Amino acid sequence: MGDSYRVTISEEANADRSITKKRKGVKKDMDELKKEVPITEHKMSVEEVCGRFETDAARGLTVAKAAEFLARDGPNALTPPPTTPEWLKFCRQLFGGFALLLWTGAALCFAAYTVQVFSEDEPAPDNLYLGVVLSAVVFITGCFSYFQEAKSSKIMESFRNMVPQQALVIRDGEKVQINAEQVVLGDLIEVKGGDRIPADIRVVSAHGCKVDNSSLTGESEPQGRSPDCTHDNPLETRNVAFFSTNCVEGSARGLVVATGDRTVMGRIATLTSGLETGQTPIAREIAHFIHIITAVAVFLGVTFFAVAKALGYTWLEAVIFLIGIIVANVPEGLLATVTVCLTLTAKRMAKKNCLVKNLEAVETLGSTSTICSDKTGTLTQNKMTVAHMWFDGRIHDADTTEDQSGAAFDKSSPTWLSLARVAALCNRAEFKAGQDALPVQKRDVAGDASETALLKCVEGLCGSVRAMRESNALLAEIPFNSTNKYQLSVHETEDPADGRHLLVMKGAPERILERCSTVLLQGKEQPMDGATKEAFQRAYLELGGLGERVLGFCHLLLPEDRYPHGFPFDADDVNFPTEDLCFVGLVSMIDPPRAAVPDAVAKCRSAGIKVIMVTGDHPITAKAIARGVGIISQKSETVEDIAARLGVPVDQVDPTLVVACVVTGAELKDMSAERLDWVLREHKEIVFARTSPQQKLLIVEGCQRQGAIVAVTGDGVNDAPALKRADIGVAMGISGSDVSKQAADMILLDDNFASIVTGVEEGRLIFDNLKKSIAYTLTSNIPEITPFLLFILLSVPLPLGTITILCIDLGTDMVPAISLAYEQAESDIMKQPPRNPKNDKLVNERLISMAYGQIGMIQALAGFFSYCVIHAENGFLPALLPGLRVLWDDRGVNDLQDSYGQQWTYEQRKILEFTTHTAFFVSIVVVQWADLIICKTRRNSVFQQGMRNRVLLFGLFFETALAAFLSYTPGMGVALRMYPLKYTWWFCALPYSLLIFAYDELRKLLIRRNPGGWVEKETYY
Amino acid sequence: MAGTTEDKPAADKEEKASSWKDAIYNSRTGELMGRTASSWGCILLFYLVFYLFLAGMFALTMWVMLLTLDDYVPKYSDRVPTPGLVIRPKSLDILINKNDPANYGEYVQHLENLLKNYNDTLQEKNELCPPGEYFDQDLKKEDAQENQGAEQPLGNEDVNARKACQFKRSVLGRCSGLSDNTFGYSDGKPCVLLKMNRIIGLKPRGDPYINCTSMTEAKIDFVYFPNGGSIDKMYFPYYGKKAHASYVQPLVAVKLLVNKEEYNTELTIECRIEGSNLRNNDVRDKFLGRVTFRVKVVE
Repeated sequence: MGDSYRVTISEEANADRSITKKRKGVKKDMDELKKEVPITEHKMSVEEVCGRFETDAARGLTVAKAAEFLARDGPNALTPPPTTPEWLKFCRQLFGGFALLLWTGAALCFAAYTVQVFSEDEPAPDNLYLGVVLSAVVFITGCFSYFQEAKSSKIMESFRNMVPQQALVIRDGEKVQINAEQVVLGDLIEVKGGDRIPADIRVVSAHGCKVDNSSLTGESEPQGRSPDCTHDNPLETRNVAFFSTNCVEGSARGLVVATGDRTVMGRIATLTSGLETGQTPIAREIAHFIHIITAVAVFLGVTFFAVAKALGYTWLEAVIFLIGIIVANVPEGLLATVTVCLTLTAKRMAKKNCLVKNLEAVETLGSTSTICSDKTGTLTQNKMTVAHMWFDGRIHDADTTEDQSGAAFDKSSPTWLSLARVAALCNRAEFKAGQDALPVQKRDVAGDASETALLKCVEGLCGSVRAMRESNALLAEIPFNSTNKYQLSVHETEDPADGRHLLVMKGAPERILERCSTVLLQGKEQPMDGATKEAFQRAYLELGGLGERVLGFCHLLLPEDRYPHGFPFDADDVNFPTEDLCFVGLVSMIDPPRAAVPDAVAKCRSAGIKVIMVTGDHPITAKAIARGVGIISQKSETVEDIAARLGVPVDQVDPTLVVACVVTGAELKDMSAERLDWVLREHKEIVFARTSPQQKLLIVEGCQRQGAIVAVTGDGVNDAPALKRADIGVAMGISGSDVSKQAADMILLDDNFASIVTGVEEGRLIFDNLKKSIAYTLTSNIPEITPFLLFILLSVPLPLGTITILCIDLGTDMVPAISLAYEQAESDIMKQPPRNPKNDKLVNERLISMAYGQIGMIQALAGFFSYCVIHAENGFLPALLPGLRVLWDDRGVNDLQDSYGQQWTYEQRKILEFTTHTAFFVSIVVVQWADLIICKTRRNSVFQQGMRNRVLLFGLFFETALAAFLSYTPGMGVALRMYPLKYTWWFCALPYSLLIFAYDELRKLLIRRNPGGWVEKETYY
Repeated sequence: MAGTTEDKPAADKEEKASSWKDAIYNSRTGELMGRTASSWGCILLFYLVFYLFLAGMFALTMWVMLLTLDDYVPKYSDRVPTPGLVIRPKSLDILINKNDPANYGEYVQHLENLLKNYNDTLQEKNELCPPGEYFDQDLKKEDAQENQGAEQPLGNEDVNARKACQFKRSVLGRCSGLSDNTFGYSDGKPCVLLKMNRIIGLKPRGDPYINCTSMTEAKIDFVYFPNGGSIDKMYFPYYGKKAHASYVQPLVAVKLLVNKEEYNTELTIECRIEGSNLRNNDVRDKFLGRVTFRVKVVE
């Protein structure tokens, strides 16, 4: 315990040094990761590769060889990150936190009992009993925490527990479907669209094969695969496909060149699991708190041990006092309470699509001050959507909302109809079958992103594209290629009477414009003039400036006389005009922001959280989206914006005016750490564009150097190190790769940025509520400790026993403390800045001062009052009690005289003593009612907050019922030494309960009346 | 972390030390333990006022509670329903060397201390009550009210005061210490005094008497004083220390006629109150209406 504390302190003190040191290490690893991909097979010929792995490019491995290789290399699976063995985890729960202190208590009990056995004739089994109870308590709470932890890690396992992946291999010339884990080096594998690539393979043959490498490299466009080596770098070359990436379309055959951990993906996974992460903020807070409590316990224990010795108590008695003080000081149930509270929040967050892998991460999100968010998929919908159209010389807005609720434009223009027809016909994308019932936006499409966008747009606005295509039969087609930069097709017209043919074309706008001599305006063909061209240029620039991908569309009705019905259109040897076409319009597309994101970003901003966009996308697109979602607010300008507005060079702009900036990966590469710090410090709104996933790590570390608690979102494998390094890594549940999910602390089930914000809110709420819960639990420590102190100092009969203390800590206090986790926020917690982890501690001196110094003291008095009442009403007046202990606890004295002259046997007065214990216990319950109610709020009046928390009401009922049960159940006198109370004794503590309530309401009133005043400074926790 | 860095551990250490010192006393801001003098003053004053207030509150509630109590009788006596039985000398392990007066002197002293309240001269001031019946002195309700009405009764005499029945030491015969001031300890036949705990208002039914038995094989004869070990009803009920100041509880003395053969062996003896409704067989409380003690006589 002491060790970890020291480390935390020195870590803070040496923050700078350790970070640079860690950075160096990481950098080296990252470089290694980037450069030393040990695949060389892409540069070899197929034959050489075959020779290397003793395989055959047509028949594959022999079954015998495969078995041999499997035995040699092991299964083709990633070694799961090193997990702590279960017994070690269990031990950690058994000996962590307060457990050590309680074990000490138990050990002292057993030691005391042993001494008693040897020194007394009839040793009282009390100490043995207490030792067993204490051990049981530690053991049970340990088990509880262990199972809680196991439960939350089980959630994760459900992710890992995917359907066993299958792979199609060719062995001995025969295709067999085997478990992907059985794949070995040299296996000949066949993959087709939709498959996941089971290992790193060297492509031998491919048919239109495209793979999605986004999880590995961050590139979102699918890339073609072919047998030829196109690049020295195996990550860039086209003839290697990587383990765990997906084949999007086409098919390919390849030879396995690496399996399991030796694959590129496996290496990153191994690297990530080697990366160290710090403690979560809440873990630090809890450790801090445990240290405070332990220090108090040890200090009091040792002091009173010494005092007891000095007062002439025997060793045995002093040890028993020590046990009592330890038991009273340790809030035995508190850690379990914290675990339960965090679990409850984790469950609530899971309902809101934030799956928390690590319980402690629940709170981390609440203290987050910077979010580094991905763009694609997190901030945006991750699907191209038509955003704007330009026709009739004007820009029209298309609806980009997810549910098509946005405003529509005027669809009556004949030009629009022509544009829609071109977009629908000159388009190879198709809806997959059987989805007619689904809304257009939700249907699956086979085809590339822009065509899909066009298809959906036309389908949504003009009805069935299929019907349109059926009535306009396709006659010839020239697919898009990078030299033409256009795509063209020839169709029949829908009017059977009309014998003409329709030629439609789309492509890069400037190329399309070059081929047009006329333009369609209001449905009428007009000659292309300078003004139109200028209008086109303006529109093109404007749309491009919005970061949108722009396509131009044109068409031509081929004259019937030259191209009659049945004319053999030939796409290879073009026998129809491709010039002097009629320009129809422009359509621009973008991956639009998710609907909830701008709101969520605004919430983050008002919550004092800086949102930084980190994307691999183009700066213009990134900036446009950033503006769209509010990461760059409407009014702020970047250096370039200001320079352009003022017409001065960039370096003459007053840097104080600049709030926003867009930094590209290339700029980032040349930046020193100091410069990066400056950028991060001086700009409120930052977008990183064209960054490699590796640079994300630099950005995260830069933010952490500013003292920020950083949340990072990511989905790719290469994000994994950044996710791991972040204070809280957030992986994407849908698009995320397994490695990123493994590295993350939290998973967004819907990939939606807005879910993070709800997570932040929950995290902040639980931090506040944990404070309340701890304040509640700690308060009852004082009425638990003071009886022992008075017992030692004044020699009064013991007012509260250890067993009753355990009944409070583990019984009556538990449910109410947990119920505070259900408490609603007092004010809009999303309008306050994130807590400063340096100053705003979970448990601070004000909380201790309140709980121990003020409320706890009132509670202790309530207990002592009940104690005095019972003694007095049974014959022992208060004046008689001090100093009575020696005779009281002497078994040989069976005629102890009370204030009225009656004489008591040992057993009779012990029953009285245990009755006072019970009454003291009940008094604590009664004053804890008031404590629970005042702990509901830290600033507001309870009358403002209300009593709507049903769990809390149940908690009040529960603790009362449990206290009554413990007191009145027959047999409790034997089992727990608790005795029935007279009903009037329940009311002894009531005045004190009311005092607590009134006192705290007054305190909160003063806090509200004088913000920043003395009361707030000294008592607001 | 230590050892891996070589650049500036010295500077760090210095800084750390000074910050540690600052935590105790910061000379720049004049902060002692993180607070300035006035801040300490405020908080201490607050706690002083707060605790004074709490003390006042506690005193108030205690005062109210004490007002509800009766001076003569405790509010509840259900925790002492039946009396315990104790012995004198104050030991449950009586070891007697009959030839060494210094050895048993302590026991004799115990008995003498108890019995000096029963000196005949003292007891003659008490009532001579009719034996065999309760000495009821309950005030009638009207009387009680009248008494309460009368502010200060004549003289210092408490109108609630009750008379006590006399129990003369001489009743204990050979165990009275009058004829044999060593209570038989010198000749190996020790006396043990048994007394029943005082309980306010207790009226045992039946005719209680003490009966002792040897729990070991050794056979011992017991001689009881007064005759038959009986406890007379006239000593009940007890009205409490304040009202019944001169009350003495009845005693029973048992003389253990230990034979020579039993010397040097440990004798376990149990005495019970028999013949009444008083409990003497409670499982947990071994002193309720009974007492077990050990005696060993050494020559």
